[in-house]
Amino acid sequence: MSTRPGSALWLLRHELRMFWYNMLSSKNGKEPRGFQWKLLAVWLVLWLAVHAGAWFVVGLVSGGDDELPRQLVLAASVLLVATFLFMLSSALKSSVEVLFDRGDMDLLLSSPLPSRSIFAVRLAGVVIGVASIYLFFLAPLAHAGALRGHPRWLALYPVVLGMAAIASAGAMLLTLALVRWLGARRTRVVAQVLGALAGALLFILSQLPNLAVQTGASEGFLLRAARSSAGIPADSPVWLPGRALLGDPLAATAVGVVALLAFALTVALTHRSFTRGLQLAASVAPVTRRPAGELRFRFGRSLASSLIRKEWRLILRDPQLISQVLLQLLYLIPILFLVFRKDGAQNLAVGAGLTLLCGSLSSSLAWVILLAEDAPDLLAAAPSDMRTIRRAKMAAAIGPVLALVCLPVMWLTWRTPLSGLLAAFTVCGVTLGATLIVMWVGKPGPRSAFTRRAQGKGISILFEMSHLFGWGGLAFLLPYTASQPETGLLTAVGMGVAGAVAFGVPFLAWIFRHRSH
Amino acid sequence: MKMASPALSITGLRKQFARPAVDGLDLSIARGELYALLGPNGAGKTTTLRMVAGLLAPDAGRIEVNGIDLALDPAGAKRSMAYLPDDPMLYGKLKPTEYLEFVAGLWGVDAAAAEPRARQLLDWLDLSKHAHELTEGFSRGMKQKLALAGALIHEPQLLILDEPLTGLDAGASRQVKDLLLSHVAKGGTVILTTHILEVAERLAQRIGIIQHGRLIAQGTLEQLRTETAADTLEDMFLQLTGQA
Repeated sequence: MSTRPGSALWLLRHELRMFWYNMLSSKNGKEPRGFQWKLLAVWLVLWLAVHAGAWFVVGLVSGGDDELPRQLVLAASVLLVATFLFMLSSALKSSVEVLFDRGDMDLLLSSPLPSRSIFAVRLAGVVIGVASIYLFFLAPLAHAGALRGHPRWLALYPVVLGMAAIASAGAMLLTLALVRWLGARRTRVVAQVLGALAGALLFILSQLPNLAVQTGASEGFLLRAARSSAGIPADSPVWLPGRALLGDPLAATAVGVVALLAFALTVALTHRSFTRGLQLAASVAPVTRRPAGELRFRFGRSLASSLIRKEWRLILRDPQLISQVLLQLLYLIPILFLVFRKDGAQNLAVGAGLTLLCGSLSSSLAWVILLAEDAPDLLAAAPSDMRTIRRAKMAAAIGPVLALVCLPVMWLTWRTPLSGLLAAFTVCGVTLGATLIVMWVGKPGPRSAFTRRAQGKGISILFEMSHLFGWGGLAFLLPYTASQPETGLLTAVGMGVAGAVAFGVPFLAWIFRHRSH
Repeated sequence: MKMASPALSITGLRKQFARPAVDGLDLSIARGELYALLGPNGAGKTTTLRMVAGLLAPDAGRIEVNGIDLALDPAGAKRSMAYLPDDPMLYGKLKPTEYLEFVAGLWGVDAAAAEPRARQLLDWLDLSKHAHELTEGFSRGMKQKLALAGALIHEPQLLILDEPLTGLDAGASRQVKDLLLSHVAKGGTVILTTHILEVAERLAQRIGIIQHGRLIAQGTLEQLRTETAADTLEDMFLQLTGQA
């Protein structure tokens, strides 16, 4: 491929430059200028640290001979399947971004570049973007393996790239198919939700053994898993990903061939659909058509009531935002299993889990409601009391969180009153504190920037996280101390530190509010 | 509200960012007047309007809305005015009916007065048939009309509009202009900025030209014509701002 201006390779270079700029921008929240040597140095140091960890891990798991141990192949296969799910999640998000969010497609498609080349380059950009983060963390394993006498492990590079290509091709095809079936606007939402679910699915699956342990079924669960894998022949295609990752030539070639075919087929079959999809996206008019009926108004509500209704409506009608915020709720599922099982009410993790979840959810909702106001000038131009507006918005943010955990906390209180009451205390404390911290030191932005809300506001994240873990620690230690009256000095100190952080950080945030606002 | 006072009185208004944006502006607009504030880009028009709307604190100077000092009683001053910026202040995920309910809630409008007013405004602006749609799907003109309906729901005495006709098609532009004239005919006051000189020429009773944050000319079209000896407002504007 030529690198002359207007060629596919030239376009790929542009794509990679944009990827680099976006990566820099996401780190410091500012427009990147020039080459960021400091950032590169930080990444390099981090990468070397990952190498050190990899060297240690590989020393533990790799055998002396070149034969691949069965457990290692099993672990590599599981790792690759998990990675693939994450890749699919990232690729779906990237495909939607390429299709809907980039502002340069009209420019590219109106140029004399063939749409096939544009599509191939865009897909390649998605592949590289998806693969890069996994290569960053997994390549040190291959390097350590190669240095410890397993040069075949370097096959990780083509295999990860191949898996990224398969995931990206699948994600792009799915996105385009969804555009055709559902229209551009719904596709955006569905792809976001699918992407979020793919990532969350892994978490839920990863919790199954823990749940089995908690319910006393761990032995059966683990034995069944071991027996199932033992029954699968060594040359079964099930192990192919793991063998490929560890450098089995046939398996690695198979992954490479499938990846190339998927890429080529996606480019060949869909570059026209891509153009059609883009045109649809560009002309999308997200109109909710309802039969025109009698006009109905509900005037006469108080200011607070009007504001709370407005905030909840805006959130409930934004599936994309809901999918981003409520993703955290998926993590509630394992906690709920613990809460509602017959003998689990005394589990200390329940209160801590609910507290951590409430803190995280409160921060998200508080940012959306308090700092991502669509029409701040409208509120500022109104003759309303700003304190009333602020309090109503806080109520709108706190209400749903408390309503959500109300049932599990009540159940916990019914089973073990003290644990339940302590959980109620920590849940209320973390919810209020998280909301106040976001209000005082959070960085305002548009709703569309929800996932990037932390950029350029490190102090807010520092306060939010330390506050969250302070309350999480209290939620764990309070019932522990109550159930174990003879606690040691360490527990007392831990509780003191957690309490100081939980109550002190909002106070610090209040002080910083006067400096930063 | 003092009945004898002008709808808007600005005295010695100053605001400085990197450079002076508004530099000692004096302006008085009578009740029932439609006043067009013109000026080149960066002249200080929007900054002036945002200060009048209470969105920006002045460095110096005094603003009185219907005789109420904005600095001393912001809520009282805001109660009788409405501000409509270039970019309509809407919520994409609300329907027009819900948006009007919310704005009425912000201004504390009584339900008995708000409902007929809302129906009337939606009818006038041809938005009734879209009342059950989310505003995110609206065209630029529909959004601007809905924002105008929101601005008028509490029947403000003073209406402040920043580039209200930018990007509107002929039909929407006519509807907005008719509504503004109707507001003035009923005793209301309008101050607007526009780059469409024909709009100022046809609608405004008085025109003010601002440059470098200062009012460099003011008067009726005839007065400006006499002052500059130019035939059209465009010629007058270019001559006064030194762009001819």
